[in-house]
Amino acid sequence: MPTVTLEAKRLTKRYGARAAVDGLSFVAHQGNVVGLLGPNGAGKTTTIRLLSTMLTPSTGEFSVAGVPSNRPAEIRRRIGVLPESAGYPANQTGREYLRYHARLFGLTRAEAERVATRLLAEVGLDGRTESRIASYSRGMRQRLGIARALINDPAVVFLDEPTLGLDPAGQRRVLGTVRTIAERGATVVLSTHTLPEVEEICTSVLILDRGRVVAASSVGDVTAAAVARRTARLRVPAVCVGQVREALAGLAGLRLDAVDDDAGALRVSLGADSDGSCDGIPTELNDALRAVLRMDVPVLSFEVDGARLSDAFLTMTREGAR
Amino acid sequence: MTTNVDGQVRDRETPPGLQRYPGWWVVAAQESRDLWVGGRGLVLVLAVSVLLSVVTYLAATNRVLNFLEQREAVNLVLQVAVAVGVLLTLVVGADGISGERERGTLESLLLTPVPRRAIGLGKAAAALSLWFAVFLVSMPYVWVLGRAISLVTTALLVGLFVGTVLAAALAAIGLVISGVSTSNKASLSVSLFLLLALFAPTQLPGGPPKGWFGDALVWVNPVGSALHYIGGVVVNGYGWTHELPYLAAPLLAFVLAGGVLLLAGPRIVRLTGGVNGE
Repeated sequence: MPTVTLEAKRLTKRYGARAAVDGLSFVAHQGNVVGLLGPNGAGKTTTIRLLSTMLTPSTGEFSVAGVPSNRPAEIRRRIGVLPESAGYPANQTGREYLRYHARLFGLTRAEAERVATRLLAEVGLDGRTESRIASYSRGMRQRLGIARALINDPAVVFLDEPTLGLDPAGQRRVLGTVRTIAERGATVVLSTHTLPEVEEICTSVLILDRGRVVAASSVGDVTAAAVARRTARLRVPAVCVGQVREALAGLAGLRLDAVDDDAGALRVSLGADSDGSCDGIPTELNDALRAVLRMDVPVLSFEVDGARLSDAFLTMTREGAR
Repeated sequence: MTTNVDGQVRDRETPPGLQRYPGWWVVAAQESRDLWVGGRGLVLVLAVSVLLSVVTYLAATNRVLNFLEQREAVNLVLQVAVAVGVLLTLVVGADGISGERERGTLESLLLTPVPRRAIGLGKAAAALSLWFAVFLVSMPYVWVLGRAISLVTTALLVGLFVGTVLAAALAAIGLVISGVSTSNKASLSVSLFLLLALFAPTQLPGGPPKGWFGDALVWVNPVGSALHYIGGVVVNGYGWTHELPYLAAPLLAFVLAGGVLLLAGPRIVRLTGGVNGE
């Protein structure tokens, strides 16, 4: 059984009558990547600030790497944080910035120099170590921020929107770094609005809405529990659309709608009388795919609606109610 | 101490020849580097040296014309140096916390294990470096004006002592204001207004009001009483203990502001401004 590195019990933060975080309880283990999701104002940043000791809880308690919340300085020794909208001193170089933070964690000048050099290389900034941060791109600053969060070999790393505003290549690079951090045994709490990222690298998710936990489980379980999958999007070459219509015409309980004939995009819907299911998920859509494949039609994509985390997210939060 | 990825804390032995410094020292060193290498401190000190050159020239010219007694010329330059030095220290202090908040750099500093009062102390020490630089720049000017009357050593020593107490007090006041302000603009405005209020009585034509009320005004005003004390030693040739009570206000300001910064540090050096907690 992996070690519990992060545990929150009924954690609440109130601002007057408003609860920013309300009764948050969860457990994360060593090596987990926990996706922290929720609409704007759901309490994600407040949760990270509570767990990183920047804010004091109104009620409840938590522990990080076995250290209880009433010892904040010790917790700060064991965590690394990339805050939301972190600022960077424009006049310092990347190396100087990391060296300074390493020394704040008690490293000697020589140790700080070594750690800064290693981390800059790990996040791919080794070619810009002596450049002023003012000249860094947004992606480079985010990677520098992640390097700073790792300066003390933390047991738990909190990343608040690490890929915000990055291009796809920058996002991929940051996600690769997150994966590496978890593989080394640290627990990562990843707050993000980019749900495909969560599906890709998170072992579990925590969905917040109005400060309350509405789901806390593995990505698969959360998705399965939330959504009834009754439609699928199929894309084939435009010239094959006729063949697909022919293949699916003989299947009972299915309806085929063209979303865009010219692009070969089609939607397959289940009839109301569908009853074949596996763990509550209808299986007739598999029959549709099989029929298309039997006709030897090249399938460019086949995606069951409601099988994605974003569908679960919208179902569970007020975002979906809008 | 540091932490492994498994969360276990291990002691970090310091190898021979390597030295660890306390958190406040590391903060002070980096803040001073940012201040001086970043260029802001150098520009300010250059401006001070231009100002002192003008004041010294005018004082020297007036002395030749017999308008200003030589001791008064030394006192004038010294008082300008102290006044400008503490003004700059206050401004740097007032930017110390609220400025970092607005630039988004405070949170990463607060996420380190360095105690918040140590962060405040480090920032105050860095702000104080500006006063020492201004004092250093003022030394040749005092020497030029005071060498003929053997006043240089006394003037420099009293200026250094009183100026340091006053600058330390105002650095701490600036940081406290910065900590409780909700914006950097508010912090700088309040600090400058405070300094103006402290300096105004010393600049009234004919000096501060006479009588018990005037005396009381000088006594309770740390800036006014510090400048009065310097004037007593430099111009009137008093011994250091002759007007000792005039040092009470600057010393009290130093003890109170420093005490507030140290004792209330964890409540002042924090992520959000204001006086009502988080």
